[in-house]
Amino acid sequence: MAIARDRPAGEQGSFTAAGLLVPATLFVAIGLLVPIAILLRYSLNAFEPGKLMVDAFTIANYVKFFTDPFYLQVLWRTIRVSVACTAACLIFGFPLAYVLARTRSPYKNLLVMLVVLPLFVGNAVRAAGWMVAFGSKGFVNSTLMGMGMISTPLEIMYTETAVVIGIIAVNLPFMVLTLQSVIEGIDRNVEEAAFSLGAPPMAMARRVLFPLALPGILAGVILTFILAMNAYATPVLLGGPKFQTMGPLVFSTFAQQNNWPFGAAVSFVLMTATLVLTLLSSLLIRRSAR
Amino acid sequence: MMLDGRIFGRMALFGTAYLTLGFILLPLFFVTWLAFFAQEIPSFPPEGYTLKWFGAIADNRNFATGFLTSLQVAIAATLIGLALGVPASLILARQTFLGSSAINQLLLLPIVVPGIVLGTSIYVFQIETEIATGLPVLGSMGGLVAGHALLVIPWTVRLVTASLTGLDRAAEEAAQSLGADQWTTFRRVTLAAIRPGVVAAALFGFVASFGNLEMSLFLVAPGSITLPIAILQYLEWKIDPTVAAVSVLQIALIGGAMIITDRYVKLARVV
Repeated sequence: MAIARDRPAGEQGSFTAAGLLVPATLFVAIGLLVPIAILLRYSLNAFEPGKLMVDAFTIANYVKFFTDPFYLQVLWRTIRVSVACTAACLIFGFPLAYVLARTRSPYKNLLVMLVVLPLFVGNAVRAAGWMVAFGSKGFVNSTLMGMGMISTPLEIMYTETAVVIGIIAVNLPFMVLTLQSVIEGIDRNVEEAAFSLGAPPMAMARRVLFPLALPGILAGVILTFILAMNAYATPVLLGGPKFQTMGPLVFSTFAQQNNWPFGAAVSFVLMTATLVLTLLSSLLIRRSAR
Repeated sequence: MMLDGRIFGRMALFGTAYLTLGFILLPLFFVTWLAFFAQEIPSFPPEGYTLKWFGAIADNRNFATGFLTSLQVAIAATLIGLALGVPASLILARQTFLGSSAINQLLLLPIVVPGIVLGTSIYVFQIETEIATGLPVLGSMGGLVAGHALLVIPWTVRLVTASLTGLDRAAEEAAQSLGADQWTTFRRVTLAAIRPGVVAAALFGFVASFGNLEMSLFLVAPGSITLPIAILQYLEWKIDPTVAAVSVLQIALIGGAMIITDRYVKLARVV
């Protein structure tokens, strides 16, 4: 299997190489590709209340999803929230990524750690932080009422706004780290050249920095969009039970209603929608960059 | 005029950058603040401050058992993930052959496939495995660890291959020509070179497993619990200083792990 190019050892070397590579490859193939194939097969089965799953070969689950206004609305809401979050992450993430990439500060490592720490702490914990801020007696409402700017508390918890703010905060570190690594690879001299030719900062950014950072922008947009489409903890905790998005819908269909075929179909709709929109956005970004 | 433009631009740039950093950290700040509130309800301004909620954590069985389960699963998954991922990375970083980039992509896939889809897929896979073999896979500790090991492999492959691309092959050949056997060369040259990558992979893999929520939701047995699930379920019910105190402990634990790792390998260089 392994045809070593830069190693003359031949047979023995190839066998060792295969022995080192095959376990991980098999593990991921069996643990990931086979399950996804089974999930696809499940989505074509039928569901009968009381009997759970019945073997079949039907697209009824997909038809059900795309003909029911409720499910279409959930899909549309998920897409809307994800697009808003991804755009905000790009706009606010770029300046931070640029500063992190270009700083010569001895505290650079600390700054990077401050970006990574929230990423590691988990979505539920960060949602808890926003719950403290957004509650009817929370920080935002108490402060605004204390200043006399409002007389009754604002409804922030369990709204789309709360979910959007929560997901932006969750996804920003991913965007910042992706952009930072690409900006670090751009030679600082090309920026200086643009400035010395008289370009104002925005023109430099538009004509020099953004085109060169395009691979990073693409990667960051794709990553944060995928994460937003599939968010679970943030919409559950900040959106509440009435604010349905695709991630929580998959879980409740599967685990609470035990409707495996339909849950599998919803999973596939989510995966396909994410994939298609990702491709579309990368086409769009490449085009607008030209 | 032009210079003014640049100074204004720099101020706007730094202003936005630090506001964004503050925004990212804001939820951690609020949850930490709440953990020290004297009263149980998260209302502002707080009536006073206390440490008693940290003592209350132990009274909640879910947090204690959830923490232990998460710790065991994350350690086991990290060890398995490293055992599978490091050898594969050694090959992938060094050799190009038919299908090597496809294998590389495959090994990175588990962190690209959305958590909730990964969870459902592995859940149905375990159902089918249980039907086919009769072994109690679903809801077992082994099933949970195997699922989490899948999350560790991509981090290992990404970080270890990155640390190997900087190593000059000549260093190994030099060691061998000086009389070192293959094993000594591997131990003293190759392993020494990839150590930062392995340490970083262990940290990222451990954290990815410890903090995983979506996959665990599907794979834990009824009645069994991990820490992120315990926190989620508690928050679905209410928010109070006890769950905030648990969160603070988690933030401190992960912050500590990052600082220790940072001594071996600068995080700014690997993420």
